[in-house]
Amino acid sequence: MSNSKPADRQTKSTSTLPEQSGVLVVRKHHFLVRWSHWLNVPILLGLILSGISIYWASPIYQHKPDPNTGNIDVAADIGTWICAHVPGLHNYSSPPDWIYNHMSLGPGMLALALRLHWLCAYLFMLNGILYVAGLVMGGGWRSLLPRRTDLLDALRMFRYYLGFALAKLARCQWLHPRFNTKYNALQRAAYFSVPVAGLLSVATGWAIHKPMQLHWLAALFGGYNVARVWHFWLMWIYILFVVPHVVLVFADGWDTLRSMIVGWSTRVEQSEVVANEQ
Amino acid sequence: MNNEEKGGSLQGKDIPSTGVEPEVKSVAVKKPQSFFGERPLPAMEITSRVLRYQSRRDFLAFGAGALAALAVAGFLLPQDTLSRIGIPRNLDPPGKEWFLNKALRIDDDVAEALYSGTRRVPTYTKSQITSLKNNYNGATPDPGYISGWKLILEGLASGLSISLDIRNLLTSFSMHEQITRLVCVEGWSAIAWWAGLRFDDLLHAYPPMSQAKWARVESSVNLDASGNPDPYYMSLDLATARHPQTLLVTHFNGQPLTADHGAPLRLLVPVKLGLKNVKAITRITYAAEEPKDYWAERGYSRYDGI
Repeated sequence: MSNSKPADRQTKSTSTLPEQSGVLVVRKHHFLVRWSHWLNVPILLGLILSGISIYWASPIYQHKPDPNTGNIDVAADIGTWICAHVPGLHNYSSPPDWIYNHMSLGPGMLALALRLHWLCAYLFMLNGILYVAGLVMGGGWRSLLPRRTDLLDALRMFRYYLGFALAKLARCQWLHPRFNTKYNALQRAAYFSVPVAGLLSVATGWAIHKPMQLHWLAALFGGYNVARVWHFWLMWIYILFVVPHVVLVFADGWDTLRSMIVGWSTRVEQSEVVANEQ
Repeated sequence: MNNEEKGGSLQGKDIPSTGVEPEVKSVAVKKPQSFFGERPLPAMEITSRVLRYQSRRDFLAFGAGALAALAVAGFLLPQDTLSRIGIPRNLDPPGKEWFLNKALRIDDDVAEALYSGTRRVPTYTKSQITSLKNNYNGATPDPGYISGWKLILEGLASGLSISLDIRNLLTSFSMHEQITRLVCVEGWSAIAWWAGLRFDDLLHAYPPMSQAKWARVESSVNLDASGNPDPYYMSLDLATARHPQTLLVTHFNGQPLTADHGAPLRLLVPVKLGLKNVKAITRITYAAEEPKDYWAERGYSRYDGI
């Protein structure tokens, strides 16, 4: 993330405790933020798997029955295509079922999928409360707020990512843009959007779970049928977020990954820049 | 916002030795700031011994949590799913059904708390009507049953068993029309135009026994997928039965019901999932205890309030 070398193992001896060797660290994540972050992994996985299984019971995206197979479901078409084109799958007994059986809990398991989905959904809401509590108690919410300079800073980050591979090939220096905030503009956009998506997923979830008692909520999203479409596409936000999230955390290094487990980081320079520039 | 960049490595400067605590010291410089402005991360000096101890504790907790999550996933996922990802497991833990049903009960309690006997469901105009598919779970019964059809009422305050035919129902009750949405547990929904008598009016005309809290609504003409008799029975709480939009429907799209849609009398309870909307009702039994429910026995919710 940052350009300068972390103040790793920076030792300070003070006059009072000359024999103690100290490490300078910054508190990055409140423990509730860390716990809710990791709890999201199994909970979101459970929600997505059971959610796709529920989706199979009545897919949103359907077409006129196929003249050969009678199939109406776009997902089953994809499964058929995969079975026809991926070596080793040619003899799969039911090509339309391939995508069902390999993407989720499979068809014909609606009752189980619904129960898993409610279980995970309540856990997801409780976990969301933990996360917000951690953001408030640790003050971390301020680092997630969008700001006026974000658009320009996001473009600088894009430019950095686009030029990164070329610069590596050309063996020339390609400096990471400097930011004196906890997150750069792209990170901030992502870390701000995902909790918002979580809130919208919960809201659209209730809208389609209780479309009569909470009909105003369904109406807010354009009615019951449209709220289902919202709920379906919101799922893709998590999937699309997770891929670069995991890639970049490994690219950024051990300190960043560790900080989500232990809470502290030895990269202290960001903190001091913010402290001194005001 | 105050995040203008002012470069320069300031590392190692401005670390006042406050010396309040021997192990942890705050080195952040406090400056007045707007409420929404990003604050510097609290930096502190920690002895490596304490840092090592805390890290070990956090990593152990993280590892224990990861193992627990894997165990829960193995416990909850169905056998088919586990074998698909290469985990053979041949035992189905007995606590699993109990646990999943517990989660379902919580959701049912929430649904019951959300229910209001006076809150009306949205109604629609005729131009918003959509097609409604025949979702008989098995085969559609042969319409031959309609001519000899009777509705039996049991569990009444009078202690009698009442038998009504469709003419009795059409002549002695006022008819109500509504265009409402029917929502299926599978996710699809349909807006349809219904007419019939209010369940509440039937409850007034033939009062249930005083301790009754439930109705068992049954169709003896229901068939399974291979066309064999498969009676359909469903529990309905009387609070929902008394809702003004809960109808015993005789007409669909302005015409008498067809066998597809549960002729001659079906339940329309828009505050419940479609599976509670029993077609071709043959018997209603009032009870003090919650009756059995066809789909609850197959792992679905038994309250089904939406």
